[in-house]
Amino acid sequence: MSTITSRNSLVNGGTNRYEFVAGATIALSALLFALGMTALFEFVTLTDPIAGVPTVSVLGGLLVLIGIGVIGLGVSSSLELIETTPDRSAGLVAGVVFGGLWFGIGGIVAAGILGLGGAGWILPALLLGGGAFAVTTFTREDIGSTVPAGVLAILAGGVFLTGVLGPGWSYSPGSFPSDNAVTFFPSVIVPGSVLFCSLLVGWASAKAYAGFGARGRHLGAHVLIYLNALGIIAVLFGLVGFVVIKGAPTAFTEVAIGPGVGPEVSVLGLSFSLPVSWPFLMNGASVFVRVDGILPAVVGTVWLVVGAVLFAVPIAVGAAVFLAEYADEGRFTSVVEVATNGLWSTPSIVFGLFGASFLIPRFGGSKSLIAGMLTLGFMLLPLVLITSREAMLAVPDEYRDASAALGVSKWQTIRSVVLPAALPGVVTGIILGVGRIAGETAPILVTMAGGTLPAGGETVDVIGGFEFIATPPFVTNEALLQASSALPYQLYALITAGLGGPQFEDAPFTALEFAWANAFVLLTVVLSFYAIGITTRYYFRRKLNR
Amino acid sequence: MSEPSPTTETTESESTDTNDPTSTRTAATASMSGTSTTTGESEEELREEWTDYQFAGETHVAAENLDVHYGDDHALKDISIDIPSESVTALIGPSGCGKSTFLRCINRMNDRIRAAEVDGSVEVDGVEIYQDGVDLVELRKRVGMVFQQPNPFPKSIRDNVSYGPRKHGDIRTGLIDRLLGRGESDAELELVERALKRAALYDEVSDRLGDNALGLSGGQQQRLCIARALATDPDVLLMDEPASALDPIATSKIEDLITDLSEEYTVVIVTHNMQQAARISDQTAVFLTGGHLVEYDDTDKIFENPESQRVEDYISGRFG
Ligand SMILES: Nc1ncnc2c1ncn2[C@@H]1O[C@H](COP(=O)(O)OP(=O)(O)OP(=O)(O)O)[C@@H](O)[C@H]1O
Ligand SMILES: [Mg+2]
Repeated sequence: MSTITSRNSLVNGGTNRYEFVAGATIALSALLFALGMTALFEFVTLTDPIAGVPTVSVLGGLLVLIGIGVIGLGVSSSLELIETTPDRSAGLVAGVVFGGLWFGIGGIVAAGILGLGGAGWILPALLLGGGAFAVTTFTREDIGSTVPAGVLAILAGGVFLTGVLGPGWSYSPGSFPSDNAVTFFPSVIVPGSVLFCSLLVGWASAKAYAGFGARGRHLGAHVLIYLNALGIIAVLFGLVGFVVIKGAPTAFTEVAIGPGVGPEVSVLGLSFSLPVSWPFLMNGASVFVRVDGILPAVVGTVWLVVGAVLFAVPIAVGAAVFLAEYADEGRFTSVVEVATNGLWSTPSIVFGLFGASFLIPRFGGSKSLIAGMLTLGFMLLPLVLITSREAMLAVPDEYRDASAALGVSKWQTIRSVVLPAALPGVVTGIILGVGRIAGETAPILVTMAGGTLPAGGETVDVIGGFEFIATPPFVTNEALLQASSALPYQLYALITAGLGGPQFEDAPFTALEFAWANAFVLLTVVLSFYAIGITTRYYFRRKLNR
Repeated sequence: MSEPSPTTETTESESTDTNDPTSTRTAATASMSGTSTTTGESEEELREEWTDYQFAGETHVAAENLDVHYGDDHALKDISIDIPSESVTALIGPSGCGKSTFLRCINRMNDRIRAAEVDGSVEVDGVEIYQDGVDLVELRKRVGMVFQQPNPFPKSIRDNVSYGPRKHGDIRTGLIDRLLGRGESDAELELVERALKRAALYDEVSDRLGDNALGLSGGQQQRLCIARALATDPDVLLMDEPASALDPIATSKIEDLITDLSEEYTVVIVTHNMQQAARISDQTAVFLTGGHLVEYDDTDKIFENPESQRVEDYISGRFG
């Protein structure tokens, strides 16, 4: 039946204009959704004009437009001006959603704008909610799914256009304790309702575009999913972009490239000047340098992660080999599994307490780099163990049989067949784990961290710290026993010291800018570890597959 | 076999629990076949002389009163068979009659199955392999195996073939050896080439020995597995339905290859394909449901004039 009607709609004369309006409404909804996103992240300010018109008014006008558009679509479909295949009803789910929405709007308008006190708001809320539910559920699908959405958009747009929600407006729901009342400002409410209305109208007009019915629901769901995915991706990129925009200019202060501009370094007794000068990354923070920098924290974080990985990965992979290859599947392995899962979800400050009470007394009694490394290593252990074990269990038994049938011993089979096949999985575990520990603040705070803003001279020199001596243990490393800074800890210290503080009197930036630049560098360091991990995994995968 | 640990016992009892319906069914079928045949016929079902195959050459593999249990499941019952050297022996029989189990007894791959318990004796080259102190590495070097599904390692073609010899230290390509100038990459290449040529694969892959073996077709993978088994220089080659996943052309390549191999190797092959068994084997052993070896003789004799009525029915497709 639906095939016949859709064949009819192909030859129907009025279809083209209808489809154009529907398509335009979808496109406008998407545009509005994007505008709402940018407004939410304050890339555009609501009072700024777009082409001479205040942004609020533009948003309001567009909302009214798409509202009218979508209602028009629904009405022309229900008047049978064009061939569509609507169901008898938009369905209970849509009914409940629209009913709930309009119930809330009725309540807010009655209580907040009309000022009906006590329980006076309930009646209008019930009336509106019930009405919307009835319209959605008991009319044909073309009316039921377009009109409630369209009216909502027109209402919101009208409110923006008439200036009821001016810049000075705010709304505090009365039910909260008066002192610290929750207050909503237009900068949140306007983008929020724009996003919401554009989602609804986009969905409804997508249904209309496909002529309602099964095809309509399909397209409507698609538009919803795409807009939602768009929103999530926008949030992710927005967050990263935000940090970059706020932090990068400070981080790149006075970078210079050219022969001999950089600080002097000596490698193998040869001393020369680096061809790059990057003060923010190459200086510590002290009164002797003009551009204060975060070198000690960067070096501290890198060594911290390297140390934790070097400590945890061999142990974890070894344990995983035992669990996956040697231990019988049974009560013991399931206990270990529960324990490792539990360890992985243990709050990091608990690991910090362990480090502070158990490790620090054993490593010289004061906070030290090695205590931090081991603490984070213990945090990393369970995840690498879990993922490595899974990866090894996923290696097909055929490989083991084939190897055994060639007379190769179990250990050699594990080393040359099972482990290589499981490596990508192991690396995935390391990537995820490093992503978590590199940004940890709490355990570092109690096991490793030194001064708030260390000077360049306090940079740990792990490689240079090795000293060889004639008596056991033959090698010592003073640097590992020093306290050190790390990027997340330094950010924490900056925030607690007060971002308005006059810490950088002679520097070309404020404490707040310094903190954003610190965050930017932290993000970059973590992402670089990711990049290294993903490249390694890609390399091992390729080796397995080609 | 070693003492089972407590955990082993739990898993075993669990597996028997879950297998219970099946094992009851097997028991039921067994008792049904026992009742449905008359006493005279069931006497006739198994006769010593049907499996008492006389041949001229020397015996390479000899099984004597071999019984295999998987938990409560008695999979192989009192198998005695002598397999002549440098020939092709086909094992045929309906699904689940224990052909693979028997094959795995010859290179002790059953050791890897926890539930399996083997009683009786198997001799390879006149040496009992089910005694203490048997070197499994040496045994499996002498008795190679090719599985039903091609199972190359996710490594390059070259590494797949040289895997066995390398792990056994027969060719040295390790870093230390290379540094000491003892590296034998030429020897490795030569060995790889020889094994691939034996397995009739070399011409197809000679220009991409470094490519991953998983990129080969199914038939090529199976021949690669044969090459991999040949590279450790075995005397006996066990093949468990090596052509079951292959198209007719690849199958005929593998059949030709088996015929070639039988000049140097003792080949024992399981197959479900009667024509294949008739084409390539010198002698055929017929296993029937219940894990009995019913008849064992020259292939021509088995296919043209079997002694047992049940074997004749099976071969002519009337049951099984
Ligand atoms: N790993 C195992 N654990 C438990 N029982 C097994 C196992 N392998 C085989 N068996 C049982 O042993 C019996 C013989 O199995 P086997 O694999 O030797 O049969 P087959 O003759 O090779 O059959 P097919 O032709 O289908 O491969 C079957 O009843 C099977 O259920
Ligand atoms: Mg089998």
